[in-house]
Amino acid sequence: MDGKVIVVTSGKGGVGKTTISASLGAALAMQGKRVAVVDMDIGLRNLDVVMGLENRIVFNIVDIIKGRCKIKQAAIKDRRIDNLFLIPASQSDDKNAIKPENMIWLTNRLRKEFDVTLLDCPAGIEQGFKNSIAAADEAVVVCTPEVSAVRDADRIIGLLYAQSITPKLIVNRIVPKMVENGDMLSHEDVVEVLSIDLIGLIEMDDRVVVSTNTGTPLVLQEESKAGMALQRIALRLDGHPDLPIENPMIQKSFWKKLGSKLGRKN
Amino acid sequence: MKFNMLLKKLMNKGDSKDIAKKRLKFALLTDKLEIRTDTMGNLQKDLVEVISRYFEIDKESIKIDIQRSEESSALIFNTPIIAAHRQRGIPAA
Repeated sequence: MDGKVIVVTSGKGGVGKTTISASLGAALAMQGKRVAVVDMDIGLRNLDVVMGLENRIVFNIVDIIKGRCKIKQAAIKDRRIDNLFLIPASQSDDKNAIKPENMIWLTNRLRKEFDVTLLDCPAGIEQGFKNSIAAADEAVVVCTPEVSAVRDADRIIGLLYAQSITPKLIVNRIVPKMVENGDMLSHEDVVEVLSIDLIGLIEMDDRVVVSTNTGTPLVLQEESKAGMALQRIALRLDGHPDLPIENPMIQKSFWKKLGSKLGRKN
Repeated sequence: MKFNMLLKKLMNKGDSKDIAKKRLKFALLTDKLEIRTDTMGNLQKDLVEVISRYFEIDKESIKIDIQRSEESSALIFNTPIIAAHRQRGIPAA
């Protein structure tokens, strides 16, 4: 059976697309899938450093498209996680080096090799975005609980619908304390405004920076809340769509927990 | 209840996230009403074509406009009719 192609997109930059693509790829591979994660940001690649594979790049996606190498030569195998591969972007080419029809050709081949192909879409709605969504079966839209990110997500969702793709939403970098104080949009607010289905909620997590510093997959860090949330999202993406979505909450002390159990509001 | 929340309640300050939500809803609404630069020209051309099947109109004095108010937007189209075509639906020329 052919594998599926999922695009991770957001519109706005800096909301966590690349980290999420890398982590979902790692999580899916750890769940036993054969996974390719593709950096679609031609000219401004970053997925390689986030995944810690930057030293091993020989060929890139543009080389494949131009016929300068085979897919197998460009796909870098992660040595820590079995069945996880990265297809890096080109750093020297222009983003117009690839066209949507090239991506359809490439993903049709990747479908034969991999159970899941994740496309890490660049920010914006230009060529890189068009290339990414042309080839995708499914889409995950990432946004943070901020006005700018939600607005861009809305635009992206509209463009995905126009391509007959019904996206699912990840709300990233939730700070439960701020939500409780009324100083951050809650995920309910975001879902209400965007009116699409959620696939996961990720709490703001310092471990993400540490993981990016070292190029270690976030899902390998046991104490990372974001990593755990991403593992659950990976399960929902692949075969377990009804796995309950956990709502990030403030870690309450024992006495407060006891208090709320007894019906006292704190 | 935490101290800063109590303080906020006492000072009768609303939650900043409510402001964010309100602004967001308004921005999305106006974003959706924004029209591409070539849309109005194309629309005018198509409208003239359709109306010309039924009426003889002065193509130069057609006015097409969008009126926006707080609650809604309306497309206003105004054209003087010179004559009606006798055989409905069949262009004169």
